[in-house]
Parts: sequence; C-alpha cells; structure tokens
Amino acid sequence: MKTRDRILVTSLALFNEEGEAHTTTIDIANELDISPGNLYYHFKGKDQIIGELFQQYELALSDTLRAPLEGTLSPEPERVEDNWYYLYVVLEEMWQYRFLHHNLDDLLQRYPPIRKGFRRLLQLQRSALLAICHNLLEQAVIDTGEEQLLSLVDNMTLALTYWFSYDQLLHEPRAPQIVIHQGVLQLLTMVAPYLGDDQLRFYRDCQAIFDSMIAGQKPG
Amino acid sequence: MSDDKNEKSKVADKASEIARNIWLAGVGAYGRAVDEAQDRMEKAGMETPKLFRELVKAGAALEDEARKGISSSRAARASVEDRIHRVRESFQLQLPARGEDLLALHEKIDRLTRKVDDLAAALAAQGGRKPAAKKKAAPRRVAGKTKAAPSRGRSGGKKPA
Repeated sequence: MKTRDRILVTSLALFNEEGEAHTTTIDIANELDISPGNLYYHFKGKDQIIGELFQQYELALSDTLRAPLEGTLSPEPERVEDNWYYLYVVLEEMWQYRFLHHNLDDLLQRYPPIRKGFRRLLQLQRSALLAICHNLLEQAVIDTGEEQLLSLVDNMTLALTYWFSYDQLLHEPRAPQIVIHQGVLQLLTMVAPYLGDDQLRFYRDCQAIFDSMIAGQKPG
Repeated sequence: MSDDKNEKSKVADKASEIARNIWLAGVGAYGRAVDEAQDRMEKAGMETPKLFRELVKAGAALEDEARKGISSSRAARASVEDRIHRVRESFQLQLPARGEDLLALHEKIDRLTRKVDDLAAALAAQGGRKPAAKKKAAPRRVAGKTKAAPSRGRSGGKKPA
C-alpha cells in the first residue's frame, strides 16, 4: 500500500478508536512508524486528512443511498424484507467512518468545508428513506398519510445521524454488530406502528436476535 | 447500447416515478433551491408536502445531471444488492429458534418416543409371531413371560391415547 493510503487508513482507525479530537498528526506518524516530516510531505495537516476521509465517506455513502432512488429494493412483495436489510448496509457503511458522527457539531465547526457535504448526505439520506417508505406505501406494506410519512422519514434520518453518538453516550463501548443491530431495530420501531402482521413478524425476529446478542454479551 | 440504456431508464421511470421525484427534490435541495425555500419552509409549517412539490420542480431543472447520476450508480446498485444479500444470510443464521418452536419440537419428540415404545411393546406382545421368524428359539424361552408382556404393552398403549 502507498504511504499516502496507509496514512488515510491509519488515521481513520485512530479517529474511530481514540476520537478525532485526541489524535494528532504526531500520533498518526508514530502509529505508522514514519517521521512527521514524511507525513507532512503527503498531508499538510489534520484537516487535509479529514477532508479526504470525508470525501471517501461521501462518495461511498452516496452510492449506497442512491440505490433505493434508482428503483425499488423489493420488486416482488416477498422481498419486502430487503428494505430492512438495506438499513444494515447503510449503518455498516456509516460505522466505518463513525468518527464523523461522534461529536458531529464540533467537527463541523472546526472543519467548515465538510459542512456542505454533510448536508448533501443528509438530504440524500432523507430522499433514500422517503423513497423506501413511498415504495412500502405503494406495496401496501405500511399504511400512513403523506404528512406523517415525511415526519417519519425525518425521525428516521435523525436517529440514523446521531445513533452512534447516542449509543456512545449511553453505553460503554459495545460490539459493532450490537450497535448496528439496535440501530436497525430502532428505525424499525418507528415504522412498526404502520406495519402489517407479516412485517411485524420480521420486527419480532429482529428483536429476538438482539435479545440473544445482549444475552451473549453479558459474560464479557 | 443506447437502446438498452433507454430501455432500462424507461423501466426505472415506471418502477419508481415517485422515488425519482424525491431524488430530484433532493438534487434541487443541493443547490440554491433549499436556500430559497428556507424562508417558506418556516412559514409553511404543516404544509410540507406543498413545499416538497416545489422542491421537485426545482430539482427537475437538474434532471439531465440526475440521469447521469442514475446510470453511473448502476454498479453501486449491484454492490448494494450484493450486500443486502449477505446481510440477509447472516440475519437468518443469527435467528434464534423461537421458544414456541422448540416447545412444539419437544412435544413432538415425546409423542414419537411414546409411539416407538408402544410399537416395540406391541410387537413384543403379539408378536411372538413376527420376530419368531427370525429367532425361533426366543419366543419359546420367553413363553413364561408372555403373560405379563401383553398387559404391559397395552397399558403403555393406552396412556398416550
């Protein structure tokens, strides 16, 4: 791997694990076993690294978020559950760059250039979720009015955006699959009141998996 | 090739006209539309759907660019479907057996066990005959016990009924 890419990968890992605010370029150079001068040759400072990481994030997540806009995720009624599985995909992707979502407001204040991009991502998230909900409405999987639907989508976007920081505030660090799974469960809970019996079964399955995950965690 | 593209985009149009509009609303929102709409949004209050329609209109101006985005994201779409598939598999694997399913399974096993016992007993009882074909000596030696055996077999057979 090129030094430049190694710097990015290592920075992302450190930001995610230790927190972006606590990580200096010296830490990154030390972790990589390169001189700060060498790092400086590739990136003039932390904001450049963060800018580049955000660009990666925006590209990757935008691609994922466009999928439901391009066409329904569940062309056949039997595949309705794919819409729920899709939420895992989105959360997984966000998890890889979770440092951006931890302490989000602070980060956006210190690095104004990514604010615009972040707003674009938020808009895309809303659009994607709205597309999914519209589709579910058309397939009569959920039953709600247009106004409610828009509010529902905003609630979901809100939960999605702050889920990781909420989890971090509430709990000691937990296994990623638990955090992600509960995130999906949380989003589903918002849709649940509008769901028919078939999909409620899926909701209960989701809950059952979560319960067994938590049960498996206790000894640790 | 361009025919193929047209075909595909036609299908996409039909499949999700609404979704496309939503997307266009988002695209419109990227640019100036959202700033212009900001004031109205505050005044609009409950009338969000109306605002939404206006965003769609604004977004439609950027339709060509949006279309480009759609075709270039086809590979991304495939990757998303791939990942959905993987999530589905791991979900099914993690799914714990439902309590009620397990209970039903236990009951079934109990019933089957009883049936097997009954059958075995019944065979041993009336059947001095069938096994006799194989082991001629056995029934004669057990002959003394055959009186007790049928009663045990029958009482066993009544329990589950």
